[in-house]
Amino acid sequence: MLANLATTPFPRMANAKPKIVADKVRMSFGRVNAIEDVTCTIGEQEFVSIIGPSGCGKSTFLYLIAGFEKSSGGTISVNGTTVTRPGPDRGVVFQEFVLFPWRTVLRNITLGLEIQKVPRREAEERARKWIRLTGLSGFEDAYPATLSGGMKQRVAIARALTYEPEVLLLDEPFGALDVQTKNYMIRDLQNLWIEANKTIVMVTHSVEEAVLMADRVLVFGARPSSIVADVRIDLPHPRTVDDRRLREYQAEVTAVLSAEVDRSMSLERAHPA
Amino acid sequence: MTPDVAEGSALLKERVTFALFDRAARTVKFLLPIAALLLVWEGAVRAGLAESNILPAPSMVIARAIELLDVTNPAGGMLLTHIATSLYRALSAFAFAVLVAIPLGFLLGLSGTVYRWVSPVISLLLPLPAVAWTPILLVAFGQGDVTIITVCFLGAVFPVLYSTIQGVRSVSRQSVWVVRSMGANFGDIFVRVMLPATLPALMSGLKLGMAHAWRTLVAAEMLAALSSGLGYMIFAARSYMDVPTMFVGIVCLAVIGMLIEHFLFVPLENATTRKWEGAIHVGGRR
Repeated sequence: MLANLATTPFPRMANAKPKIVADKVRMSFGRVNAIEDVTCTIGEQEFVSIIGPSGCGKSTFLYLIAGFEKSSGGTISVNGTTVTRPGPDRGVVFQEFVLFPWRTVLRNITLGLEIQKVPRREAEERARKWIRLTGLSGFEDAYPATLSGGMKQRVAIARALTYEPEVLLLDEPFGALDVQTKNYMIRDLQNLWIEANKTIVMVTHSVEEAVLMADRVLVFGARPSSIVADVRIDLPHPRTVDDRRLREYQAEVTAVLSAEVDRSMSLERAHPA
Repeated sequence: MTPDVAEGSALLKERVTFALFDRAARTVKFLLPIAALLLVWEGAVRAGLAESNILPAPSMVIARAIELLDVTNPAGGMLLTHIATSLYRALSAFAFAVLVAIPLGFLLGLSGTVYRWVSPVISLLLPLPAVAWTPILLVAFGQGDVTIITVCFLGAVFPVLYSTIQGVRSVSRQSVWVVRSMGANFGDIFVRVMLPATLPALMSGLKLGMAHAWRTLVAAEMLAALSSGLGYMIFAARSYMDVPTMFVGIVCLAVIGMLIEHFLFVPLENATTRKWEGAIHVGGRR
């Protein structure tokens, strides 16, 4: 599948027009400061990974872009419009898939279009494309309970892509998968991204995943977090794991991240929650 | 017919045959222990191990049941009336309970404030046996259907209410987020997420509610029925020391309770939760 992808031109995002702009974003839950002053710009069709120590508020930042939660300060805008609530311009994929067990694979995938009142026949037609690209052909009538973890995540990705959001937000999308499945999914997601022309923001805790897939890696610091490093991965797509330069980038990101993890651990020891 | 189609239809035929066979086998497996129990019982009574005017043999109970079913017999022939009356009372109480408990359960499940105010009261009422209300209702409404149906309603409403609330509250934040990011409004969220997500919990609540209605019915009929109902029949038979009739009533209660479960809830589950689990395939193999 996707035979025409090998020659995709690169870089296509260095001077891209800004898609997501976060300006001095703050977020606190009660007395806990989760995010303090995150400012960044994510360009159109850029693939950005967010990485950081656990509990640093990286998923919270993603939920703020999605509009699920309201920030305590600052603004986030998508396409120049300030985010106040979720909307079909931003599709989301969660670690735990969050499929609807009462709907078949096909019905899960067409749900977004159904909600947008697209006629059933047309919805199915549009879903077919993503079913094919995510490798779900033949499973249209299966119920989610009968699928493996990897297949479930494919359904979740296809479901988010079928209603054609401009931005795809991925919250640790491979966290619940075994290594073998994960590697397949990473390869497929890279291809999907090239095919789909989406802006992708992916939260992950794996440096390897982040560097392998993204154009840019944002490293979040320990809580209350802000961006401590913004690393551009200047390598053409699709990438393979054994690229030597990829290792160098990994080392670079790991170094920054370890320092932050150390800091967050020592903070936790000093101020136990 | 192409060979492919022929093969396919042969396969289908085999599957259908298998399904029928499987069903028959399961029925036999279910009935065998019951038949064994009846045989031991019959033997024990005939051998004089049990007093037949306290524990009548199954054959005596069956003979009495036939008498009671005989509508041409002016003295008896009331069994079908008793059954019909009891079913009418239990099912209408259950229907009222469902109509009240499901909307109320959604309200309580969705609104934190209402939940905080009402849930302590529900926790208090949930373990209370509904029959305890009967004397009060007798004072208020006197003997008759109103009292009996109200008692059964009280028996059925709390399990349904409680499981609806649990079901609604177990809907994950993320599944609501998923549809909201598709542009869903409140109506979409309710119909496409809340309702189906609540169904598995609701299903067990409905089963429990119906079972409670049926159990409460007997006690309520003993206390409040004027002339008919299975509970009334059992209770009235004690005046004549008519133990076989009491047993007929007990057997009817057990069998009808089981049939309601089998014909009301099993098809409902097969069409919903069991289908979602992928547990249903042609041929009944799992």
